[in-house]
Amino acid sequence: MSSSNDDVQPGVPAVETASMDAMVETERADPREELAKTDHDTELGIAMAEDAKRVSQGEISAEAYWEKYDAAAEQEFGDAYRETPNPSIESTDQTIDAGTADSLSCTIGSMESVACEIDAAESVEGGAAPEDRKARWGMVIDLQKCVGCDSCTVACKAENRTPPGVSYNVVMEEEHGEFPNVTRTNVPRPCMQCEEPPCVQVCPVSATYKMDNGVVNIDYDRCIGCRYCMIACPYGARYFDFGENYDDEVEEAGEITSPEYGVDRGKREDGKSPIGNVRKCSFCTHRLERGEEPACVETCVGDARNMGDLNDPDSDVAEMADSTRSFQLKESEGTDPNVYYLK
Amino acid sequence: MATDTSHFEFDPGFTDNRLRVAWYAALAVLLIVGGAAMILRITDGMASTNLTSTTPWGAWVAFYIYFVGLSAGAFLVSTLANVFGVSGMHRVDRDALFAAIISMVVALMFVWVDLGRMDRMFFPFIWRQLTSALSWEVHAYVAYIAVLVTELYFSMRIDLARVAERGSGLRARLSGLLTLGRRSTSEASRTTDRKWLTRAGILGIPLAIFLVHGGTGILFAVSKARPYWNSGLFPVIFIVSAVLSGTALVMMLYVLRTKLFDDEPVDRNLLNRLAVLLAAFIVVDAALTGIEMLIAIASLHPHEVETWAVILFGEMSWSFWWFMVGMGWLFPLVMLSKREWRETPWLMVLAGLSVVIGIIAVRFNIVVPPQILPVMKGLPHGSYFPSAVEWATSIGMIAVGLLLYTIGAELLPLTPLDRGDH
Repeated sequence: MSSSNDDVQPGVPAVETASMDAMVETERADPREELAKTDHDTELGIAMAEDAKRVSQGEISAEAYWEKYDAAAEQEFGDAYRETPNPSIESTDQTIDAGTADSLSCTIGSMESVACEIDAAESVEGGAAPEDRKARWGMVIDLQKCVGCDSCTVACKAENRTPPGVSYNVVMEEEHGEFPNVTRTNVPRPCMQCEEPPCVQVCPVSATYKMDNGVVNIDYDRCIGCRYCMIACPYGARYFDFGENYDDEVEEAGEITSPEYGVDRGKREDGKSPIGNVRKCSFCTHRLERGEEPACVETCVGDARNMGDLNDPDSDVAEMADSTRSFQLKESEGTDPNVYYLK
Repeated sequence: MATDTSHFEFDPGFTDNRLRVAWYAALAVLLIVGGAAMILRITDGMASTNLTSTTPWGAWVAFYIYFVGLSAGAFLVSTLANVFGVSGMHRVDRDALFAAIISMVVALMFVWVDLGRMDRMFFPFIWRQLTSALSWEVHAYVAYIAVLVTELYFSMRIDLARVAERGSGLRARLSGLLTLGRRSTSEASRTTDRKWLTRAGILGIPLAIFLVHGGTGILFAVSKARPYWNSGLFPVIFIVSAVLSGTALVMMLYVLRTKLFDDEPVDRNLLNRLAVLLAAFIVVDAALTGIEMLIAIASLHPHEVETWAVILFGEMSWSFWWFMVGMGWLFPLVMLSKREWRETPWLMVLAGLSVVIGIIAVRFNIVVPPQILPVMKGLPHGSYFPSAVEWATSIGMIAVGLLLYTIGAELLPLTPLDRGDH
C-alpha cells in the first residue's frame, strides 16, 4: 500500500492489485464443491477448466483443446456433446473452425444458433400441450422505481436508430396537486403491444399484425403510409417516418440501421422503407430473438422495467402483472395491453 | 355558333370564346403551380407537409372526404330524377352524374398524394383487412365509380347516338365511340336505357349513402381513440353535409352551364326547387351538428369538451365561425329565404359557391381538431396549418378536376338535347 501513495486519489480506496486478487479469491467458489453438485465427472471438469484458462491466455488453440477432450467429453455427455457446436473464444462465430469440428464429427454452427435453438426448445418444453406454452412477451414498469431520467428513451433511440421525430419510447411526466403539495409521476410509454390492437384492426393492407409472441409487427415492405393506425392508436405510440436524418448532428448517421423485426435493411436512403412508413416500438424483437432484453429494460437505472413471458405463471413479469399494484393504461379502451404498470 | 350547317345543332361549351380562353388560361396557371408543388411533394416526401406524428392527417385527408362528399351528394341529386322521377330534374341529371365522377377522381388523387408511399397505391387491392373500414372503402369507391359511369352511359347514350348520327367532327366521332356500339335512337332503346338507369341508380343509392359516404364517416367514427369522432351520429352528419354540398354544386353548375354554355334562360322553377332542397339540407346539417355538440359537451368527457373548445375558441376557430357557420350555413340561408332571391340565378350561384366553400371548412373541422389534443396527457400537443406545398398541390388537383369537367362539358351532351322534358 505504501508504494503507491503518490497515486492515491481522494474518494478512491487505495487498494493494490494483489489485495484485490485476494478478495476475488475468497469470494470464488471452490471448483470441487461446485462440480460435486453436478452429475458429471469432477476430475474431468477440473482438467477442462484448467486447460480452458490456457486457451484464454492463448497458450493452446481452441481446436487443440477440443481435440484433446473429444473422447472424454463424448463419454461424459454423449449425444448432447455431438449435437452442439464446440465453443471457441477465438473466432467471430464463437465456435471452432469447421474443419476441426468435422474431423471430430461434431455439429458445425455458430453459438448464436445454439442460443436460438435453446430458446425455441424452452418455449415448447414442459406442459401437457406444448403449443399452449408459447411465450407472450410482456413488460412491467414499476412507477415507484422510475426516476424519470429518460435514459430508456435515449437507449431506445440509440438501439433502434430512430430518425428525428420518431421516438418509440417516451416518458410522460405529470405533475399533480398545487404547491406545496405537489407530486410528480413519470410514466414511460413504449408500444403497449395490445392483445386487441386497434392499429391492426384498421390497417387496410394488413401490414401491421400480431405475432405469435404477442408483439405487434409492422411490415415495412407492405405499409403504404396511410397513417390510419396512428389515428387509431389510443396511446400515441406510432410515429411516421418523414425521412429526416441526424446528418447535421452525427457523421454517417444513416450508414447503419437497426435490424428491426430481424430484418437488416442496410443504409438509410431516401425513398426506401421505412421512410414513408409508420414505425413503433417492437419490444426490440431483434434483441429478444437473440436472448437479450429490450434496450430500455437493460438500461433502466432504477430497474423499473421488467421483461418476460406473461404466459409463464412463474415468471417475474406474470407475478408482477397479477399483483394488486398492477394496472394497464386506458383499460376502458378494451385493448388489453401487454405492458403493465405498478402504481 | 353552330359547327354544323345542316339542320342539326350540337355545340355545347362556352358560347363566348374570350371567356373560354380566359378560363383555360386560369386553369393552366393553377395546373403549373400545382404541378411544381407536386414535384416538391414527390422529391421531398412527406417532409414537405406540416404534418407531424401528433397530427398525421391534414389538408389532403380533409379534401379527400370533401370530394367524396361532393360526389355522393351530386349523385343523390341525380337519383331524384332517374330513380324517384321528380319532374323537371332530368335537366340536371347528367351534369350531377358527371360532376360526381369527376369529384371521385379528384378524391382518389387526394388519397394517393396523401400516402407515405405513393408507389404502393395499388397494395389495398392485393392485401386486405376485413376489419378495416379503409380496406372496404377503397373497394366501395371503385364499385361506386363503376355505377356512376354506367348511369351516365344509360342516361346519355341516346343523345350520344343522335350526335354520332347527325353531327360531325370530333364530337360526333367521340360520341360514336362512347355509345359502345348501341347506336339506335328508337323509343324502344330509350326505354331500355331508362330501365337500366333506374336499376343502376337503385344499386347506387345504398352504395353511395352507406358504403361510400357513410363508410367514409365510419372510417372516422370507429376510431375509439378519438372520442370526438367516435359517435353514431357522425356518419349521418357526414352524409347530410355531403348531400348539402352536392346540391349546392349541382345548383351552381346548372346556372353556370345554362348561362355560359347553353346560352338559355334558367328554369326558375327548377332553380327554386333546388334552392328549397338546399335550404332544407342546411337546416338539417346545422341541427345535427348542434345535437352532436350538445351530446359531446354534456358527456363532460375531457377529450370531447376540450376538442369542442379547440373548435369554438381555439387558434383555428375562425374557420368554424366564418367559413363553417358563416359561409356554410348563415349566408346561404339568408340568400335562400326569399322566393324572389331563390329565382335569381346569380344570387343562387353565390349561395351555392358559399356552401361549397363552407363545407371545405366543415371537412377541415372534422379532420384536424381531434388531432390537436394529444391522445394521452403528457404527450405533445399538435398544431397544424397546411404548408405551401399542401395548399398548392390541393389547388392543382382541384384544377385537374375543373379541367376534366370543362372538357367533358364542352364535348358531351350533358344537357339533354330535348332539354330534359322526356
